[in-house]
Amino acid sequence: MIEVLRAGLCDLVMDQGRPGRGGLGVPRGGAADPAALAAANRLAGNDATAAGLEITLQGPTLRFPRGGVVALTGARFAAVRSSGVTVAWNETLVLAAGETLRLDHAQTGCRCWLAVRGGLAVPQLLGSGSTFLPAGFGGLEGRALQAGDRLALGTGAGDMHLLRAHPPSSEADAPLRVVAGPQVDLFDDAGLAAFFGGRYQVGAASDRRGLRLSGPAVTHAKADLPSQGVLPGAVQIPPDGQPIILGWDGPVTGGYPVVAGVVTADWPRLAQLRPGDRVRFATIAREAARELAAAQWEIGDIA
Amino acid sequence: MGKYTRGQSHVHPAWRWVSDRGLRVPTGEATLACYGTLVSQDFPEVEDIIPADDSLLLVLRRGECVSAELAAMLTSPPADAPVSSGRLLEIAVEYGGRAGPDLPVVADLAGIDPAAYIKRHSDADYKVAFLGFQPGFPYLRGLPDVLRTPRRASPRVRVAAGSVAVGGVYTGIYPAAGPGGWHIIGRTAAVLFDPQRDAPALMKPGDRVRFVPQ
Repeated sequence: MIEVLRAGLCDLVMDQGRPGRGGLGVPRGGAADPAALAAANRLAGNDATAAGLEITLQGPTLRFPRGGVVALTGARFAAVRSSGVTVAWNETLVLAAGETLRLDHAQTGCRCWLAVRGGLAVPQLLGSGSTFLPAGFGGLEGRALQAGDRLALGTGAGDMHLLRAHPPSSEADAPLRVVAGPQVDLFDDAGLAAFFGGRYQVGAASDRRGLRLSGPAVTHAKADLPSQGVLPGAVQIPPDGQPIILGWDGPVTGGYPVVAGVVTADWPRLAQLRPGDRVRFATIAREAARELAAAQWEIGDIA
Repeated sequence: MGKYTRGQSHVHPAWRWVSDRGLRVPTGEATLACYGTLVSQDFPEVEDIIPADDSLLLVLRRGECVSAELAAMLTSPPADAPVSSGRLLEIAVEYGGRAGPDLPVVADLAGIDPAAYIKRHSDADYKVAFLGFQPGFPYLRGLPDVLRTPRRASPRVRVAAGSVAVGGVYTGIYPAAGPGGWHIIGRTAAVLFDPQRDAPALMKPGDRVRFVPQ
């Protein structure tokens, strides 16, 4: 069991999401960087599919009355154990009974993932334990953690080893790679030049439903578009010309023209964008994007 | 994936990519037939299928291509595929008043009185085209032309769960409370979405729907 002494900005129970429910209007959701949560799970001795916490910008203080085995991956947060020792990232941590883990602000990036040996025990709804805030279901009562919450742990963990993970390298300043979108023909040359030549700032209203960008307006022929299916990474252009990159909990259909789509390989970078960050875009061909391998987390024993 | 050819995509020129994994296929009148066939045939390269207005979005599994078999089905959907589930759902609605604050507005736009609007709305036979916007939100086709309404100039910050609404060519029902841009004409006690149910969404594409005034 874990006691939440102080909640962070938005601590959400997440696993690998609920694929295949788009026809019900339910997006896949799940961890914004599924590979990072899967790596944390492996470090904690769990299956990759176990539920953990996704922690955004400002973390919680958690107490482990009976101790526990945990691991953190993703953005590094200022974090200390009750002993005063700084919390290590990307390795198996063994906590003594009664120990607390105090996570403060993200030092770089936006999100980290905490896995706990046994996994968080939450109900499976539509095949997943992930919190889906827009409709208020999944995870812990469909909401973010609050002070006073108690999180039950599962019992399904395997053998315990002390492990260390090496995250895949990422070029934070590189352009986000996109494939031209289904309505690219609706955009005039000036609109496309603005989008592909411009730098955009991530807005404060961004969340798991979408990243709202501000920058050069992407102009397009006004058209009454029918609703179309969309997926995370799709870059929608509303009438004001300011792009929205759909996120993990975004709607499954939308009526705004889609100028481009961020390739799957760059979704983990979307997970680490925070308000104020600047992004730019570069196109690649769909076939080239398909060939981009999933980033590999290397996990081995702590020597 | 042995029987499927990797590294070779069978993509029709009219299909459009939405990132590396989403493929928008214009399916027109055959949208529900293609959707039903895809759901029943379980193509291994497909992670998800999202029906919408005259198109389908196929979400491919990472690294996958469109197989020749899938491409063939999408270019010539089976003529005998069912386009209706055969189910008819009757939805009891309290029209107007606090349950449907925009009824006078849309009746005015249609040039008829609210009672006539209710009669036209509840006499029509609807079909679920697709679910979107929120889990379980049905986009119902079959709204009489005269009842078609543009969306509200400014969306409501909060629409009650069960609100029956009209937007453009569609009528629909908000499963959960939240912001909404359609005109609200009534409310139903029917639970459109419940993740705890075996079938979480009350309606599915192809269902027929009628509204019954209370």
